[in-house]
Amino acid sequence: MAADTHRLPEGGRIDRSRPLRFCFDGRDYTGFAGDTLASALLANGVRIAARSFKYHRPRGIMGAGVEEPAVLVELEGDAASGNRPATTVPLTDGLVARSVNTWPSAAFDLGAVNQLLARFIPAGFYYKTFKWPNWHLYEPAIRRAAGLAAAPTEPPKGAYEARHAHADILIAGAGPAGLMAALVAGRAGARVVIADEGTEAGGSLLNRRLKIGGKPAMDWVAAAVAELAMMKNVTHLQNATVWAYREHNLMMVHERAPENPALLGRNWRVRAGQVITATGAIERMMVFEGNDRPGVMLASAAQAYVNRWAVQPGRRAVIFTNNDSAYAVAADLAQAGIGIAALIDSRDDIPAHARALVPGVEVLAGHAVTSVQGNRRVRAITASPIRGGAARRLPCDLFAVSGGWNPAVHLYSQSRSRIVWDEALSSFTPGDPAQPVRAAGAANGVFELGPVLAEGAAKANAALGRASQVVEVPKADDAPYTISPLWTAPGAGAKAFLDIQNDVTVADIELALREGYSNIEHVKRYTTGGMGIDQGKTGNVNIIGAVAEQQGKAPEEVGVTTFRPPYTPVEFGAIAGRRAGPVVLPYRHTPLTGWHKDHGAVMYEAGARWRRPGYYPRPGESFQDTVNREARCVREGVGIYDGAPLGKYEIKGPDAGAFLDWIYTNVMSSLKLGDGRYGLMLTDDGLILDDGVSFRLAGDRFFMSTSTGNADAVGQHMERLLQIERPDWRVKITNVTGQWANATICGPKAREVVAAIGTDIDLSPDAFPFMTFRDGRIADLPARIARVSFTGELSFEVNVRPRDLPALWDAAMKAGAPFGITPVGSEANHVLRVEKGFLSLGHEVDGTVDAHDLGMSWVMSKKKPDYLGKRSVDLRRSAGRPRRELVGIRPLDPNRQVPEGAPLTPGGRKEATEGFVTACVWSVVENRWLGLALLTDGRARIGGRAHVRLPDAVIEVELCPPVFHDPKGERLRS
Amino acid sequence: MVYDVTITRLPMRALFDLTGSREMLSQCCGDLLPPFSAQPNRMSESGGRRLMSTGPDHWLLMAPLDDEAALAAALQPEGAPQDIAITGLSDTLTFFAVTGREVQEVMAVASPLDLHPASFPADAATWAEAFGIKALIRRIDDGFEIAIDRSYADWFEDVLKRVVV
Repeated sequence: MAADTHRLPEGGRIDRSRPLRFCFDGRDYTGFAGDTLASALLANGVRIAARSFKYHRPRGIMGAGVEEPAVLVELEGDAASGNRPATTVPLTDGLVARSVNTWPSAAFDLGAVNQLLARFIPAGFYYKTFKWPNWHLYEPAIRRAAGLAAAPTEPPKGAYEARHAHADILIAGAGPAGLMAALVAGRAGARVVIADEGTEAGGSLLNRRLKIGGKPAMDWVAAAVAELAMMKNVTHLQNATVWAYREHNLMMVHERAPENPALLGRNWRVRAGQVITATGAIERMMVFEGNDRPGVMLASAAQAYVNRWAVQPGRRAVIFTNNDSAYAVAADLAQAGIGIAALIDSRDDIPAHARALVPGVEVLAGHAVTSVQGNRRVRAITASPIRGGAARRLPCDLFAVSGGWNPAVHLYSQSRSRIVWDEALSSFTPGDPAQPVRAAGAANGVFELGPVLAEGAAKANAALGRASQVVEVPKADDAPYTISPLWTAPGAGAKAFLDIQNDVTVADIELALREGYSNIEHVKRYTTGGMGIDQGKTGNVNIIGAVAEQQGKAPEEVGVTTFRPPYTPVEFGAIAGRRAGPVVLPYRHTPLTGWHKDHGAVMYEAGARWRRPGYYPRPGESFQDTVNREARCVREGVGIYDGAPLGKYEIKGPDAGAFLDWIYTNVMSSLKLGDGRYGLMLTDDGLILDDGVSFRLAGDRFFMSTSTGNADAVGQHMERLLQIERPDWRVKITNVTGQWANATICGPKAREVVAAIGTDIDLSPDAFPFMTFRDGRIADLPARIARVSFTGELSFEVNVRPRDLPALWDAAMKAGAPFGITPVGSEANHVLRVEKGFLSLGHEVDGTVDAHDLGMSWVMSKKKPDYLGKRSVDLRRSAGRPRRELVGIRPLDPNRQVPEGAPLTPGGRKEATEGFVTACVWSVVENRWLGLALLTDGRARIGGRAHVRLPDAVIEVELCPPVFHDPKGERLRS
Repeated sequence: MVYDVTITRLPMRALFDLTGSREMLSQCCGDLLPPFSAQPNRMSESGGRRLMSTGPDHWLLMAPLDDEAALAAALQPEGAPQDIAITGLSDTLTFFAVTGREVQEVMAVASPLDLHPASFPADAATWAEAFGIKALIRRIDDGFEIAIDRSYADWFEDVLKRVVV
């Protein structure tokens, strides 16, 4: 067990009465409740905690929060997860963690051999190097070598939740500005959601020794949190990151430890009237040779470790800065007993208020660090005057650096609001908003505590619509902030890291610029700078500054890359919530689902989430045996299938007929009462949207059926047309898909079976011909029977109320038993429709063909002056280009199946396709494989041959008309 | 159990979809209907029948299933005037009652609808979304009633129970 050697004897926000054991890289350690894994490792003197992504350079902890660029860990056990910044992992008893991308450990990593090859693998090397014979040959090995943690192999033991919420004001961040805003908004009675990424509220106040109202700032935080907790109109989420800003102020919040113990995590989708981003600011690295050595740490992080976690990250420190904030850090480190060797400031002129904070510390003004000594950890640094002069070597084991502060504008930018360069701050700050959003506090470039509190209150008032109202805020003392940027120190090159996580150096940026990638977006993609899990929180602005230096431009001329969600990594489980596993996608059942399952049907989705029986295998039958049996039964006897999912609409009104004439390619308004007609519906651009049969129920009422898969799309299509294109038309549409279920009885013996069930409808062909419907009773149930056919056989589509369908089905099975009635699944239906040459959306209708291509010119009315899509079809065909047309195919080898979707190429050669096979089935009427295909100029080639090209074979097929059964339609009209 | 909530699949009820102006519907249906609510997405109730405003010139009449035949006979959907449509839809929806101490928690998971009493008062009723599918939501004693397309009922109940348990 390693000793807790770097823990201060007192102080910090840890609970020393609750020691916790944990394991890192195979070694056991102890920490305390309130620690993060990072603070506990530092307390135990662990310096090398990671290896870098590409070069496997030793890395230590550099940050104290979500900005951490260097140390990612993989958690094991029940908390298994990968690529977690050690700074964001709360320490728990028994925690087991290991460094990622190392073997066997971070301290001793065989992958470190990559450092010897570093000069050969600069940015973009793999784009140039691994091109022959194929990048994908090398890709797996490269990804393994430069990888991150693997995803856990087991699903998490517990549940996640995704939920919705609404707020008048959402406040991102519970630091001083966020808490102040929440207090003002909450007291005004607004519905407030305040979410903060930290395990406790306070933001930067947790890490600093400041006072508010003359008392420790954390006392004010505690009082604010307590007051908010008493407000029923306020939802305060802690350990919850606002990770995405979507349209219309829809905010995503990832809550990592919900109060409900049954939940592992939760994602909130908050619709907010107003948003206040009080997300604080993130400190930048300084860029110099060796700035990634273990022991180099952000100054603010060092401050956090001594103040919040009572940890000495080193015994003797040097501080390197270009701004004022590091002076308070030096003071706090000295207070914690850390020797301050020197404070190096790149500025020549240092404000008196800064110097006043460190009266006993040597300050080297106008200096920069040019090198770091020590291989596995910092042992000393060398500083030189920027304008020339003697270098000084300063021994130290902690090198705290501050390159200035970037307002955390990520969310603000995600809202599509502008961010602008602020010369005084040398960073980007929020500009004009694109949505109802305001930035407050450090996120808005205000860094002094007093003004931060005042701005939190003011922004809340503005969000409440009372901008002129002044709220008294407590007084707070803080030092001013000034900066003079130093983007890269003299000599910074191949080991001066701009993006620590992705191993992107100053030399890489120079290379990208030399190779012509001058746009900042191109620099980003070429070097991968800012594309790591940390999204370049500590490095992006430095990259912009370095590019600006190289190009001789101002940073604002270089511009900024796009901020994209997530702000910090989000667990997939939280996004999915309970919609995982068997319920991840909706499924729909018909009233007969139970029956189908009870009778052995193999069920699967068959469009629009409906689970339908595919086939009903009997013992000993193969799949093909079953399908053949069911299909033969329909061809030779009688079958029955569950047609409940078919889409159905009632169209009513004085303009209903005209409306149908407009949306269908043929004429529907001429239908006589009780008659039906097949129709084809086109989109505006002339492509086939759907097909179906419409019946006339009354003078102003029609009953329309649609395909199962497009039922909802057709409904939306019709509503859109009526509401937008024809708002003056008097038409009402009602979706009655769920009000009518049907059992379709089909086959030569169908009439006898329907009669045997018992009906008051005259079933004779003359009284009840094809393409008509009759209302009546069957099996003593109210029914609407339609004579339509999808199988090519005599068919009765018996529509009843869904509540009556099981009774109807039972009656049909009982009455049909003497006729050998058989339930038929969608597989056999597919065979039957292919034999008959009926089209199926998604097979023959592929988004390119029109009715003429399918041999259905008869359905394109020549009587009507216009209909939806007509002009587009005419326009497209006027080009006279060859079209793919529907043909039948018979493989020369009758026993050779052709995969559906297989391409047809000239002679089967490796050439551009001239079509593809839309369907191929074993035909029960021809006892062979046959199918349908779309083929260029196909109709003219009927009688000839074509070739199906497969990866391992060429199949020659004979081209024939696309109807293999009853081409005159005598059977279905019988 | 994650949440203290009871989920109950409710029996079928009579449903009629009514489209048309309230004046024409009043004229056509007379006192068969509860009074029309003045505001959109509100529900009125009378004699065991509820009338929900579900859209512009769009209403849903709800009644006990025992009342279905009588209502159909009285409303005469087939004989309705040209500019109104009355369609029986009793079989289209399945209703669930979600009730209990933590019903708000479950509803927050189920639906993006703002159910705060200020936004969704006691007589509110509206088509919205629950678990990504279209759902009719209204307040009931101690909770909410959610109606969804009947075909989704098994899946919907499965998801609801996973949220609760």
